[in-house]
Amino acid sequence: MLEDIVHIFFPRTYTLGNGKTIREKFNIIPYLVIVFAIFVFFCAYFTGTNLPLLAERGWNFFDILHKMIPPNWGYWDTMQKAMLDTINMSLLGSVFGCAIALPVSFYLSSNFKLNKTYLVTHRFALSLLRTLPTLVLASFLRMVLGIGALAGTLAISVFSYTICVKMMYEYIETLDMGAYEALESTGASRFRCIWGAVWPQVKGFFFSTFLYCFESNVKSAAILGYVGAGGIGLNISGQLTLRKYDNLGLVLISMTLTIMILEAVARYARRKLVTG
Amino acid sequence: MNRLTLESQYKKYPKGWPQFVIGAVVVTLIIIIWNITVEYEGFTQRGWSIVGVAIRGLFTPSWDVISDMSASGLLYMLFETFAIGFLGTIFGTIIAIPLAFISSRNIALRWVNLIMLAVITLIRAFPSIMYGIMFVKTVGPGAYAGVLTMTIGSVGMLSKLLVESVEDINPGIIESLDAAGCTGFQKVRYGMMPQLSSSIISNVLYRLDINVKNASVLGLVGAGGIGAQLIFAIQDRRWSDAGAMLWGLVILVLLIEYISTKIRNLLATKS
Repeated sequence: MLEDIVHIFFPRTYTLGNGKTIREKFNIIPYLVIVFAIFVFFCAYFTGTNLPLLAERGWNFFDILHKMIPPNWGYWDTMQKAMLDTINMSLLGSVFGCAIALPVSFYLSSNFKLNKTYLVTHRFALSLLRTLPTLVLASFLRMVLGIGALAGTLAISVFSYTICVKMMYEYIETLDMGAYEALESTGASRFRCIWGAVWPQVKGFFFSTFLYCFESNVKSAAILGYVGAGGIGLNISGQLTLRKYDNLGLVLISMTLTIMILEAVARYARRKLVTG
Repeated sequence: MNRLTLESQYKKYPKGWPQFVIGAVVVTLIIIIWNITVEYEGFTQRGWSIVGVAIRGLFTPSWDVISDMSASGLLYMLFETFAIGFLGTIFGTIIAIPLAFISSRNIALRWVNLIMLAVITLIRAFPSIMYGIMFVKTVGPGAYAGVLTMTIGSVGMLSKLLVESVEDINPGIIESLDAAGCTGFQKVRYGMMPQLSSSIISNVLYRLDINVKNASVLGLVGAGGIGAQLIFAIQDRRWSDAGAMLWGLVILVLLIEYISTKIRNLLATKS
């Protein structure tokens, strides 16, 4: 038994009948697994991961949920504007971001053979921008534009723009360019070529990207109020510091329901778009 | 026989006005929503004066923060952010794989997987910041709460994606293992895992990307990571500190994205 384990790490040597010795093939995977495990344990130590603590105090998690039930329905009048703002912000942001992203993504696809330097630099700038969480962007814009939904909307627009452009140009590059070339050979302008030959092919994908942006933005917009960029986040942090858990329960229920309804609508719309 | 003339072909040309009406309605709706939501009261002249200072500060990162090796230094916080995302992904994967097997139609009983699918939908519908708040209350503020939050988020998404790939697997292989008299575990190990491993790894790497990015946000509710320090630096207008942290975060996320794309491409070409 022990020998078998040792031989996982150190390849065996066999001596054949004719006196020839053969070594087993060296396998690096067991070593990688060990390094990986050590790294996981180091990370766990570093973050203070403590499973007994979770087992011991895990019930507190449900304790807070318990305090949220029953929710305080009277709080709805106070928070409905913020809730509506959250949805509106993400809708507006997705619309603006995707609307600007559509023409730009044609410029950034390499199959139209535009200026290479411009293409590379713009793509690099976009990937830098994409790494920033929406929250950081919003807290920066909030310093410039002041407290309110304007900063949040703008931050969401920028985020949707970066995501949408990336998904669109990757899709456009896989398209069949035959129709485009055919239109080009008739002497149509570049706009006409794209409108007639490329847009019908990317239409469905563009709208499904838009829906995806909208869906994920509603989730991220919930937190923007924390930095004063509008939406429901301000209510969450406020009620949390006041320890009004029943109010928090109503916020949570309305957000969960909103997200579920939007996901169902988006799934339905996407299926319609894919089938035609 | 009809002759093809220019006029007859033009008559077949699709009418433009329905699209025009739809477009006009959409634009009007957007303008109305904009007017409901956005207020300009917060906007003052002072805002513009910040822009120049801020951008100059962001491009001259402060070396004090970068060279600081203690717990408030850049490297410590970046590693903490990475560790939260990484551990969240690992734990999430460990929980999500059996969950995905239980909730897929071709393995478990129908009523079991309906219940499990409902649970997964519910997990996904909760916004992750709420998990953050609850875990901070449960295990106290710090990186551990972040790890748990990331775990739950990963379980929600990974199990949904994995259910799809488990339901797609080739049933012929399972049937032939059945015919050879294999046990349930052997069927999973030799019939399913080889088909699933590449999709599992690529989904997990994709989730790692998302988790590291999100781990920086969680700091705001007290769940560790670089987020809290970064946002406080922005709010206190310590622009060069914010610049250092911002560039650190950008480089970390780009590095992880680059490595995971490389590994995913390697897997795609191999299989």
